[in-house]
Amino acid sequence: MLPLPAAFYFPWEINIDLVKDGASVRTFGRLTSYVPEESKAVLSCQQSSAQCHVSVQTSLVEPFQPILGAQYFVLGEIEKTDGLGGVTLHARALTCVDGVDLALMQQAIVEQRRFFEEREKLMNVQAPRCESPHT
Amino acid sequence: MALNDPGGADADAEEPPSMLWGLDPVFSAYSRLYITDILQMKESRQVPGVYFYKNHPFFQVDVLGTVVYKREREDFYCYGVDDSTGVINCLCWKDEKWRDQGEPTKCTSSTLRRDPSGSSRGFNIEDELKRLKEAERQSTELEIGDLLRIRGTVKTSRDAREIKATCFYKVSDPVMAVQISHMLEMPRLYRKCYDEPFQMPSDDLGGTEAGGSSHFHYLLSRSVLTLKEFLLEKEVARFRPYDVEFLLHPLIQTSSAEQESDQHRTSLATQIRKLLKETLSVLQDEGQIFRKMRTQDEVYNVTEQDKDLHTAIKDILREDTKREKYAEKGCHVLHILSSMRQRYSQNLSREVLEVALTFLECKSDIISTTEAHYIVL
Repeated sequence: MLPLPAAFYFPWEINIDLVKDGASVRTFGRLTSYVPEESKAVLSCQQSSAQCHVSVQTSLVEPFQPILGAQYFVLGEIEKTDGLGGVTLHARALTCVDGVDLALMQQAIVEQRRFFEEREKLMNVQAPRCESPHT
Repeated sequence: MALNDPGGADADAEEPPSMLWGLDPVFSAYSRLYITDILQMKESRQVPGVYFYKNHPFFQVDVLGTVVYKREREDFYCYGVDDSTGVINCLCWKDEKWRDQGEPTKCTSSTLRRDPSGSSRGFNIEDELKRLKEAERQSTELEIGDLLRIRGTVKTSRDAREIKATCFYKVSDPVMAVQISHMLEMPRLYRKCYDEPFQMPSDDLGGTEAGGSSHFHYLLSRSVLTLKEFLLEKEVARFRPYDVEFLLHPLIQTSSAEQESDQHRTSLATQIRKLLKETLSVLQDEGQIFRKMRTQDEVYNVTEQDKDLHTAIKDILREDTKREKYAEKGCHVLHILSSMRQRYSQNLSREVLEVALTFLECKSDIISTTEAHYIVL
């Protein structure tokens, strides 16, 4: 009944194979386009001189006040469509968070990941036959 | 699920006994745990309703997360909260006072009726109270995507863990500052508190020796204080140990009344002698008392009351500052010490001299030119 937990991912991690099909994710980006008729939005993010885009399906979160150029936080499921290398995020929650400190957010996500990685290493050391919970 | 339990990697680890749970500070706090840990922690075999993460007992938690599921009934909300590590159901009972509220919109408009000049028409307490209640109520009504903070007890019902909220409210987080600081704080909390094993103090309390020494230290500090006060009050310049022994009697007597019976094995006299010896030793180390001559006769001089000592110090300073070497800067403590040892007493310690110098300075008989140099006025 309850949905699966949505882990934090960076926008540039969504489009590559790091994320499984159907996984619940959280991510963020700048709203660069919104087509209300098709319920499609695009969140963009700058990563070391390359722009990356995430397509978002917004049917579940409409109506919402789109502010083009503002930072948004989105939570939803990934759908990997064949062909055009398209990955769509079906948003369950979309919030404007303009003014967010991106550098600090990145630091926080990395810190949380590092903590869980350390913990997993410790668990694997103590019980090497156990399966990793993140597989 | 038990295989991947991070909280109890050592499956055979015994739970600490329930009597000691209150000694763990996290037990009484609404502990901030990751939802994944709340879902996986093992229930106690001793007391149902208490759960263990790495041998720390928990039953109250504080979570911050996004609402991803909502179910509303007449009496309660059931919010599914996702903090990116797990999702848990939270049972949030509605406050009864909101049920008799009536139309919420009416309250807000009535309080906006103010004078055109801008000043309110007095302070209408009923309206303000209604506004407060309405604000409270609105802070508990959330939609999917809102940020929720919950404090409550952990319950297991029908094989599912849930949190029964004692306090819950919508968090306004327009720039994600709250979530970011929460994400940064949690690993620190874990490393500092939850992942540290719960030190059971029963090891410290065990053995009269360990318990005895802390009690003895307490007695010692009290006896040192008592003696100091006595010497000051009576302006004692010199004394022998048996002169002041009587001061320690009330301390030992009250303590033996409270202590275990094995303390009675050592006689009262021995205890007093031991305490007196330690007290005098402490006072000597501090420089408050000293033995001018190491003879069989155990006589102690009180530094601040010994007039001869003070005169000797002042004489040295007066004489030496006439010499060109010391005229401007004054005499260094070590120089004074060596002179005093020649002139006054071979056994003089630096601590005693410093106590005496400080005393003389407070009396304005001498002045320190630097931290370690003194001249006479």
